[in-house]
Amino acid sequence: MWFARFLQWLHDTQFSTTMRDSLWAEPLVETIHVLTLTLFLGFAVLLDLRLLGVVLRRRPASEVLRQLNPWLFGGFAVMVASGVLLFCGDPVSFYSTVFFKVKMIMLVLAGLNVLIFNATVGRRTAEWDGAVTTPTAAKIAAVVSLVLWVAIVAAGRAIAYALPPP
Amino acid sequence: MTWLKAILLSFCRYCNETWFGHGIRDSVWLFPFVEIFHLLALGVLGGTILLVNARLLGLRFADEPTSELAQEVWPWTLGSLAVMLISGFLLFSTEAVKMYGNWGFRFKMTSLLLALIFTFTIHRRITLSDEGSIRPVWRKVAAVVSLLLWAGVGLGGRSIGYIG
Repeated sequence: MWFARFLQWLHDTQFSTTMRDSLWAEPLVETIHVLTLTLFLGFAVLLDLRLLGVVLRRRPASEVLRQLNPWLFGGFAVMVASGVLLFCGDPVSFYSTVFFKVKMIMLVLAGLNVLIFNATVGRRTAEWDGAVTTPTAAKIAAVVSLVLWVAIVAAGRAIAYALPPP
Repeated sequence: MTWLKAILLSFCRYCNETWFGHGIRDSVWLFPFVEIFHLLALGVLGGTILLVNARLLGLRFADEPTSELAQEVWPWTLGSLAVMLISGFLLFSTEAVKMYGNWGFRFKMTSLLLALIFTFTIHRRITLSDEGSIRPVWRKVAAVVSLLLWAGVGLGGRSIGYIG
């Protein structure tokens, strides 16, 4: 299969070999990946909780979105970049675990959730900004996001346990 | 300091033999399960701490009073901190004696103690103070100290698995 051949090719590249063999590359990148959770997951949870109307209620949702989004997306970029580097270090093993596949599928779903939110209820924040409660559609997007991110973190942690022994 | 070492070591020995220490150690999936809670709470705790410090530095929510923002996220800081401490203690109990000698763990616990003391005293007082009652430079210093102490906890935690 072409994808298996691609993974094997990636595994054999100089870059992948360096990631694997270096004493500090994997710990360093993994530390960045894990600690950026504070920025990315923390801000994502705060945003979802705002959409559910349980935190930062006195601030308009549009203001919370505007303040959190730049750092949230910055954190996401760091998560993706460090995640790709970790994957490159051992692509065949990563892909062999069910948790990696599940995590990737859920990441796509989380991305779709953001796209749908921004195309629908997120576009009309001005209409419900000052309301006492947030619209049901916003609440659904927040719950979907929370469930997916919890599952993504869990799947991510599980990958390390499911990897075949070196 | 021999007395302190003796107390800490006997405490670690005691934790090692608790029923939950044994239970988690003997189970295949309990350790990863508790770890996931530790990671999820890390996100929330770190997120609220980053947000309040970003406000003190004037980088986020610059138009809002710091005290209001700090009060609104404080329950989430406390809740996630509780999950962190409980899940962390459970993980610790599975290899407490080994942790006693681990310099990464020692560094993490020292940083944690300092971070907690600072967060609940000086940092909290500064975040809740009226705007203008404390010079802006001290608000920024408090934010940087808080970030450095919590970074020490995080980096110490990451190092546990890599150094002896």
